[in-house]
Amino acid sequence: MEALFDFWAAYGSTVTFAMANAFFALSTYAVLSTGVLSFTTVTFAAIGGFLAAQMVGQFGLHVYLAFLIAGIGGGLGAAVVASLFLRLESHWMALASLALVLITRVTALNTPGLTGGVNGLVVPVTISQFELFVLLTVTTLVFYRLHNSWYGLASRAVREDAAVASTMGISPYRIQFTAFLISGAVGGLGGAALAFTLQFISPDTYFIGIAFTMIASTVLGGSFHWFGPIVGALIFTALPAAMQAVVPAVEDVAKGVVLILIMVFLPRGLIDPRAIGLRRAAKRRRDIEHEAEKTHA
Amino acid sequence: MLEVASQPLLLEVNSVVKRFGGVAAVGGLTAHVRQGSVHGLIGPNGAGKTTLINLITGLLHPDEGQIHFAGRHLEKMKPQQIAGLGITRTYQNVRLFSGMSVLEQVMTGCFLERKAGLFSSFLGLPSARNDWKRVREHAMHLLKRVAMDHTADELAETLSYGEQRRIEIARALGSNPRLLLLDEPTAGMNHAEATAVGLLVHELRDAGITILMVEHNMGLVTEFCDSCTVMNFGQLLAEGDPRSCIANPDVQEAYFGRKNDAERIKSLR
Ligand SMILES: Nc1ncnc2c1ncn2[C@@H]1O[C@H](COP(=O)(O)OP(=O)(O)O)[C@@H](O)[C@H]1O
Ligand SMILES: [Mg+2]
Repeated sequence: MEALFDFWAAYGSTVTFAMANAFFALSTYAVLSTGVLSFTTVTFAAIGGFLAAQMVGQFGLHVYLAFLIAGIGGGLGAAVVASLFLRLESHWMALASLALVLITRVTALNTPGLTGGVNGLVVPVTISQFELFVLLTVTTLVFYRLHNSWYGLASRAVREDAAVASTMGISPYRIQFTAFLISGAVGGLGGAALAFTLQFISPDTYFIGIAFTMIASTVLGGSFHWFGPIVGALIFTALPAAMQAVVPAVEDVAKGVVLILIMVFLPRGLIDPRAIGLRRAAKRRRDIEHEAEKTHA
Repeated sequence: MLEVASQPLLLEVNSVVKRFGGVAAVGGLTAHVRQGSVHGLIGPNGAGKTTLINLITGLLHPDEGQIHFAGRHLEKMKPQQIAGLGITRTYQNVRLFSGMSVLEQVMTGCFLERKAGLFSSFLGLPSARNDWKRVREHAMHLLKRVAMDHTADELAETLSYGEQRRIEIARALGSNPRLLLLDEPTAGMNHAEATAVGLLVHELRDAGITILMVEHNMGLVTEFCDSCTVMNFGQLLAEGDPRSCIANPDVQEAYFGRKNDAERIKSLR
C-alpha cells in the first residue's frame, strides 16, 4: 500500500514536469519550425521564472497575473535577442544562443537583488496540476491556430527554403522575428510553470538541463508539427522515471541512448506529417502496379 | 509581332555586372523585355542566364549596372519587395518545399494574393476564413490550368519531375505576377509535354503576363518566343527576332561550335 502511494506521488510529479517541459519544447519548436536552431528558450525561461517568482513573492500578485507578466517578459527578451541574433548565419546563431545560456546563468548569479543569486529564491505559491494543464492546452491551441494560418504556411516555406519563400513575397526576417516572440512568450510561461512547480529556483534551475531537455524532446517528438514537441516532452520526461523504477542507475544512460536511437532511426521525430504523405504515395504506386497486373492478366 | 514591338519596355537590364570571385558570370549585359511579350533567354550552359534571373529577382545583387522594372529600380531591393512589384519565377532545379502538399505549395505562392492579415488569419476571423477559401479556390484554379488539380492533396516531392515543374509554374502564378521568369521550364520533358508548356506560356501572355524564359530547345524558341536575347560568357551575343538570332553565325558557333569540337575530339581518340 505504501509502495503504491509512493508510485502515485512519483507519477504525479512526472506529469507536472512533463507539462513544464512541454512549454520548453514548444518554445524551441516555435523557432525551429521557421528554420532557426536556438537555445535561447533557456534565457526566456529564466526571465519568466524570476519575474514570476518576484511578482508573487515581492509584490504579492496573483499567480495568473504572474504568468501573464512572465509571458510578456519572455517575449520582450526575445525581441531583443531576435534583433541581434537574426543578423547571424544559422550555425553561428546556434552557437551564440548557447553562449547566451552561459551568460544568462552568470548574470543571474550576479544580480542577487533580482534572482537571489547563489541562494536562489523561494517561491511561496504553487499551482495545481489542473491549472497547468489548462495553460498548456491554451498554449497548444495557439500553436494549432498558427499551424493552420498564413503564418504557419509561410513559416514552413521559410524553414524549407528561405530564398524561395522570399521570391514569393514572404519576408524570412519577419517570420523568424515573430517566431522568436512566440518562443519567448512560451519559454517565459514555461519558466514560470517550473518556478511554481519547484517552489524554489536558482540560476542553476535555468541552465544546461533545460537546454538538453528541450532539444531532446523536440528531436524525439519531431519538429514538423506542434504535436511533436508535446509528445516528445511527455516521453522524454516519463521514460527515465519509468526506467528508474526498473533499474535505478540507468536514468541518464537511457536518456542518451533513446536520443541517439531516435536520431538514427527517426531523424524527423515520432510525429512526422511528411511520412504519412510518403506512405500514401507508396501505397498509390503499389495499387497502380496491382491494377496494371490485373488488367494484364 | 508588330503589336509587341510597339509595346513599352517592362524590364530593362542596363550594363549589369555580377562577379563571382574573379569571374564575371554576367559581364555588362544590356537586355530589354517588352510588355506582353514572350522573351527567350538563350545561350550555352554557364552563359549566365540563371545568374541574370537571380539578379532580377533579388536573390543576387548586381556589382554594377541597373535593372528597371516598370520604372522602378530593382538593384537594391529585397526579393520579397521585388515579388511585391509583380515578378515571380521558377527554378532550373525544381525547388518545391519538402513536406508540403501540391495545394499547399501553390497556396504559399498565393501569399501576396491574400487579403487577410497574419493576425486575423491566426484568430480565424470569419473574414479571414472566407479569404482563405477564396485563395484556395484561386490555387485550385491554377492547378487546373497546369493540369495538376488531381494531385492537390499529394506530397509534391512524390510526383514526377515534369509534374513538379508544372506545379512550380502554378506556384509562381499564385500572386498574379506581371512578369514571370521561367528557368528552363521544359528541361527533362518530352516533346508533347514541352509543347504543352509552350501553349500554356502563350495562354498566359494572352492573359496579360509578360514572360522571360530560358529555353534550350530552338524549335520551341522559334515557335513560342516573340523576341530573344542570346548570352555567351555573361555577355550579349545577339538579340531580336528568334529566327534571325538562331541563324546568326556567332550564335551557331556558341551553341554548336563546341559540340563540333567535342565530336572532333572524340573522333581523335
Ligand atoms: N553562386 C555562385 N558562386 C560562384 N559561381 C557561380 C555562382 N552561380 C553561378 N556561378 C558561375 O557563373 C557562371 C554562370 O552560371 P549560370 O548563371 O548558372 O549559367 P547558365 O544558367 O547560363 O547555365 C558559371 O560559370 C557558374 O559556374
Ligand atoms: Mg541555368
